[in-house]
Amino acid sequence: MEKTRKISRKFPVTRCTDIAILIFLAVFPFFAREFRVEMMGSYICYAIFALSLDLLWGYTGLLSLGHAVLFGMGGYMIGLSYQIQNGVPAFMQREGITELPWFYAPLKDPIVAAIIGIVLPAAFAFLIGKFVFSSKIKGVFFTIITLALAQIFKDFIINLQKYTNGFNGLQSIQRFALHKNPPLTKVQYYYVILAVGTAVFLFCMWLTNSRIGKVCTSVRENESRLGFLGYNTSAYKILIFTVSGALAGLAGVMYAPCTSTITTEDIGVAASTMAVIRVAVGGRGNLTGAVVGTLLVSWAQSLLSEYFSGYWQLIIGVLLLAVIYFIPDGIMGRIIKLTRRGADDAKSGKELKNRKVTGNVYSLQRR
Amino acid sequence: MMTFISQIINGFNQSSILLVATMGLVIIFGYMNVTNMAHGSMIMLGGVSAYIISEVFHLPFAVSIAGAFLITGLFGMLIEKLLIKRLYSKPTETILATYAVSLIITEIVRLKYPLSQNVHMPIPGAASAGGVTIPYYNIFVVLFSLAILVFTLFFFRKTIFGKKLGAVTQNRTMTECLGIKTSAVDTLTFGYGSGLAGIAGCVLAPTTGVSYDMGASYLTDAFMTNVVGGVQSFFGTLISSGIIGEGRTVTAGFLNDTWAKILLFVIVIILIRFRPEGLFTKERR
Repeated sequence: MEKTRKISRKFPVTRCTDIAILIFLAVFPFFAREFRVEMMGSYICYAIFALSLDLLWGYTGLLSLGHAVLFGMGGYMIGLSYQIQNGVPAFMQREGITELPWFYAPLKDPIVAAIIGIVLPAAFAFLIGKFVFSSKIKGVFFTIITLALAQIFKDFIINLQKYTNGFNGLQSIQRFALHKNPPLTKVQYYYVILAVGTAVFLFCMWLTNSRIGKVCTSVRENESRLGFLGYNTSAYKILIFTVSGALAGLAGVMYAPCTSTITTEDIGVAASTMAVIRVAVGGRGNLTGAVVGTLLVSWAQSLLSEYFSGYWQLIIGVLLLAVIYFIPDGIMGRIIKLTRRGADDAKSGKELKNRKVTGNVYSLQRR
Repeated sequence: MMTFISQIINGFNQSSILLVATMGLVIIFGYMNVTNMAHGSMIMLGGVSAYIISEVFHLPFAVSIAGAFLITGLFGMLIEKLLIKRLYSKPTETILATYAVSLIITEIVRLKYPLSQNVHMPIPGAASAGGVTIPYYNIFVVLFSLAILVFTLFFFRKTIFGKKLGAVTQNRTMTECLGIKTSAVDTLTFGYGSGLAGIAGCVLAPTTGVSYDMGASYLTDAFMTNVVGGVQSFFGTLISSGIIGEGRTVTAGFLNDTWAKILLFVIVIILIRFRPEGLFTKERR
């Protein structure tokens, strides 16, 4: 009994779920069709994206409604890199550009493009964070700023038709074909994504358990008190936003080659809100929730759009309302609460029972 | 030079619609502290009811303005009663819930009217002076939105309801103790704010047409205007909607609309850095 309790303390329900999900994802390609494997690969990318949002929203309490901007930056970098492999792409030629613009030169190498796809969103997040957090701005203002950012960024990409293929987005992005090597197969690339996803999850686990993560959680709980204790809270907020931006960029870098497209649909307000919905459904503030929510919501979204293509967004809206009112902590938050309460009940119940028994025995003896 | 002048005059039209839309947000966001993501779809709902009243039932435009105000106002009150009431202490949940509401409204309207619908111009004709033509309708819009501003100021400063609202925002528990039904005040305030969004949509309908996504871009514009002006200040809203509406229209005349938006966004970010409370907010204790 003592032993099982020790094990359950060492492996709480979240860790068990993590391991179960990891095993499921690892064996998934053995029994699924290739098209589903590709789909699942894109869900893992969404999960990385949801983890980056969870760091910012779930742990630090800063809701971003423009997170897809950072995701899209990563995706567009790798996408553009494969567009310019064979000289000036067709969409640029259509606009009358005969020579590759100078600012696309570094993207020629896919690895450099991938690194830029991580560094650029991080730098952008740092810059926005520097401006927004270094004044006394409350949480909601950050949300409004990011909302405006998402709207404007989408318009910006559509407007730069010459350089980004505008509304049509980028197609036929290859799965990391380096230096004339053939691209990876879908299953190989799936495992690459899974490895990166696991690494990101472990990194997030380390970060949230470290001192930085603890301070961020305290920012969420009571920022002004933390300020009185002498912490520079804005520096922590800028730091976590930068890290979150880098991870969102990484998710985009992994995502674009997986589905081989990246379009303006992946960067606007709607895409950002989908990420928020994924984290909210799964449960924020514990990393497992982001993963569980992503897998469930994305799967539901695919099925709904296959069967009810006309009004699946309506169903998403109703689903979101249901989650807010009936399981406000999200699925994982609810499970954690239930198991914790169950464990507490079992513990206190047992003690109560013991006391009763001893009491009875005592009274019997007395009698 | 002529284009510059006509851009400035177009800007007045933009600014005044922005003013009405943002006033609704000032009431809901500034006084009630609710980030209402459904505000854009309220604007759209106003446009749709204007379309139904003036095109399907062929009633005069004045009726559609009143109808849009009443329909969106009642709808806002319904949402407040059913959904937002339970979420006042949770700001992020309010954002998500109102976003879900806006998704639902937008999708229902999209299923019913997938394309843009036209509303006929209620006041045709234009005045022309020295090569610059101003449609009579634009003059009407500017005057009408200023009238709404005056009425709202009167409503919030001078009437008993306004005094009650002031009391609720200052100290909710104390107001409750004095026997004022704070929940009724909340519901009415939310309804009034939503109704103003409906009027904005209704006034917008003849110039841009009614479509399911007409409110989406106005949502961010209204929020930005609100942030620039200061969240509780009607005067700030007047000035900042002037700045943003004029700035956008005039810049869009020379560059294009996207660059104008980006430029304004950068200005708003810089402004927020140095005046986080907005331009015209009184020092709050």
